[in-house]
Amino acid sequence: MNTKKLALLALLVSIVSPVAQAQIKHIEMRVEGMT
Amino acid sequence: MKQHLGRQSGVQTVEVSLLDGKVEVTPKEDGQIDPAQLLKATYDSGVTATEMNMTARGKIVKDSSGSLALQVAPNRSFTLTPNELSKGLEAVADTPKMLTVRGELYEKPAGKQKADLSAPLKLLILEVQKKE
Repeated sequence: MNTKKLALLALLVSIVSPVAQAQIKHIEMRVEGMT
Repeated sequence: MKQHLGRQSGVQTVEVSLLDGKVEVTPKEDGQIDPAQLLKATYDSGVTATEMNMTARGKIVKDSSGSLALQVAPNRSFTLTPNELSKGLEAVADTPKMLTVRGELYEKPAGKQKADLSAPLKLLILEVQKKE
């Protein structure tokens, strides 16, 4: 029973963790001199 | 330029609009992207960047000098340029609260042809999109 609970917890953590990560999501630049 | 930027570390896709001079970079999720390196790569490809904006998710921390900074990776943070929005974030400094913000990292100085790429980029927060 405990093993099942631990496995479920590990699964939940692996799903939630990437969402909670800090990261740069998008970068936008304005440029001049493009041909 | 598109190929040059696409080869930089942490870059997933680069979209270039010749019509309005806009370049959009989507980072990989590995957290390796370095905006300062992208800016340098843009200049290296013979193009002048006039502005760089970033949307990022991270924590507000106080750096060694006591200034507020947005930490977007364990080894990468951007000192905030003080404004009304940054003042409002002092309360969440050094807490686990995550924010999604949009801000300006670089604006070409008026009259100067080339940027001082040696100076660290500072983040001027334009919008706080989400607090969690």
